[in-house]
Amino acid sequence: MIRSLDDVSRIAGEKGPKKLAVLAPEDEEFMLAVKRSWEAGHIEPVLIGNSEMMEKVGGKVGFDISRFERIIENDRQKISDLGIGMLFSGKLSIVSKGQIPTSYIYRSIIRAEGKAASGMTVSVISFWEIPGLGHLTAFTDTGVSIMPDYRTKVNILRNAVFLYHLLGYEKPRIVAISGQRKFGGTLDSYRDYKLLRKAADAGEFGNCEFVHATSFAEIFLGPRGRLRDYRDIDIAKMPHIILVPRLDTGNILCKLDFFLDVTRCSVAVTSRGAVCIPSRSDFSDSIVTELAMGVVVADRLEKEVR
Amino acid sequence: MAGTFADIMEAARKKAVKRRLAISSAKKPDLEIISRAARDGLIVPLLVGDGKAADALVKKSALQSLEHEIIDVKDAGGSLRAAVALVREGRADMLMRGADDLKTFMNAVLDVKTGLLKDKLASYVSVFQLQKSDKLILVTDTFVNNYPGVTEKRLILEQAIKLASLLGIEAPKVAVLAAIEQVNPNIPSTLDAAVLSKMSERKQFGNAVVEGPLDIDCALSHVAAGRKGIKSVVTGNVDIYLVPDIESGYPLAQSLVFVGRMEMAGVLMGVTKPVILNLPFVSRENRIVEIALACMNCG
Repeated sequence: MIRSLDDVSRIAGEKGPKKLAVLAPEDEEFMLAVKRSWEAGHIEPVLIGNSEMMEKVGGKVGFDISRFERIIENDRQKISDLGIGMLFSGKLSIVSKGQIPTSYIYRSIIRAEGKAASGMTVSVISFWEIPGLGHLTAFTDTGVSIMPDYRTKVNILRNAVFLYHLLGYEKPRIVAISGQRKFGGTLDSYRDYKLLRKAADAGEFGNCEFVHATSFAEIFLGPRGRLRDYRDIDIAKMPHIILVPRLDTGNILCKLDFFLDVTRCSVAVTSRGAVCIPSRSDFSDSIVTELAMGVVVADRLEKEVR
Repeated sequence: MAGTFADIMEAARKKAVKRRLAISSAKKPDLEIISRAARDGLIVPLLVGDGKAADALVKKSALQSLEHEIIDVKDAGGSLRAAVALVREGRADMLMRGADDLKTFMNAVLDVKTGLLKDKLASYVSVFQLQKSDKLILVTDTFVNNYPGVTEKRLILEQAIKLASLLGIEAPKVAVLAAIEQVNPNIPSTLDAAVLSKMSERKQFGNAVVEGPLDIDCALSHVAAGRKGIKSVVTGNVDIYLVPDIESGYPLAQSLVFVGRMEMAGVLMGVTKPVILNLPFVSRENRIVEIALACMNCG
């Protein structure tokens, strides 16, 4: 079982290098991350983007990119389409977003899934490594569905459970978080939680445990508990998968790594492989970890028949 | 300007006015809290409920030797009504929830005719003390409103700005949070944020500087925002975070408490007199801070 991002880096070193398309590595942090991942033996990059910009940032971070396959393209959507197209045609194992708005990538993935008639709901899983926890925690969907309905949430959860199984977690614990309080009526997200709980009990998501809680207070204190002292908080109660009700929630929570002592790494699982989704504001340390996660997921996907 | 919870406690003590705090159906843990606040000279507790039971509790607590009153109300459901009435009629300065369930308590407080609602809506501001610097941040609304539209968000924001002013933050920097930093017509929170930001440009929020939409990385880090092409005095130095809705606000506040272990105290805004909700994710220590905040908010 992969318990930490150190495990991820170690395994990426063992299983790499994997061929990875980087979409618009036109920013120093992204290019530096590509350089470090290549030096670590995790990836063999294919660079897609603006020639001048890539050369310029390559020079700035001391990375000779002339030895790698380069595809010159300036149009953002075409850059994205090219990379995702290569993933879906099996020419490479992983794609990573560079300095390009995420919406272009999702558009490309959704189109490619449509063309492949995979029926797959595309979703993003953002992992957190929390010091002292001993397992990875993930928020989903943090990237694609703005206000997912029940059916979409089912598919989002399936993707997350599948990924956790890939990472060696036999029975991931799931919490569907909601804004539901003991006041304010019944929210749709709470209705969905009840349905999802039933679906989980009926085996819809495979081997997993669906926790009877919809808030962090319930996760850590139980349904009627109250916080007496911060020393009483047992971080081991943190679940593996946290399904968020909306995109706003997912994005706000998962990027708290800018604030809290946690490390984030995001990946989208498509029917053909992993797509790393670093934020345009992420720094190279974080991006290197995300690329390593992409390598591990790609390696395990190659061995699995979904 | 208050930068820590200790500053809030100090400011409340300095006022040197004992506020009359009505609490309905108090239980043992509540007595521990209000005894401490009474000993600190912040309040005179008014215990509203079964007189005999209250008296028995007081005899076993530190409150026994401190100034307090017991207001005997035999009818179990009547103690909350009586406590709200005491505050409404000016015989108490503030209200605190005791054993009443949250729904009943909130409905009583927010009742337009018999409650304590002042504005068109109330909002709950979570005040956090940053761990690495002497700075308080406000996150709103983290408890009351489910899916506020831009009209409601304007009020929620005004209420938070008022609280910021009370804490000595006269020109607060506000991040209106959304999933992304760009305006996307398919994501309502980004539209609301853009409207509020424009209103701020036209000085409709006084000295407050409102920036939005901002995703949380841009709000938290000036460098991260710069990498996304956003240049603003707000990024990396936010005083008030306005969340899109309760689906974000409630989990955000709790994740900061349980994962971030950040000290949090809450304030209900938009009511005629301070109301302490006594929420389960506020620690025992920080319930005293809530009382101190209520004292500061008494006017």
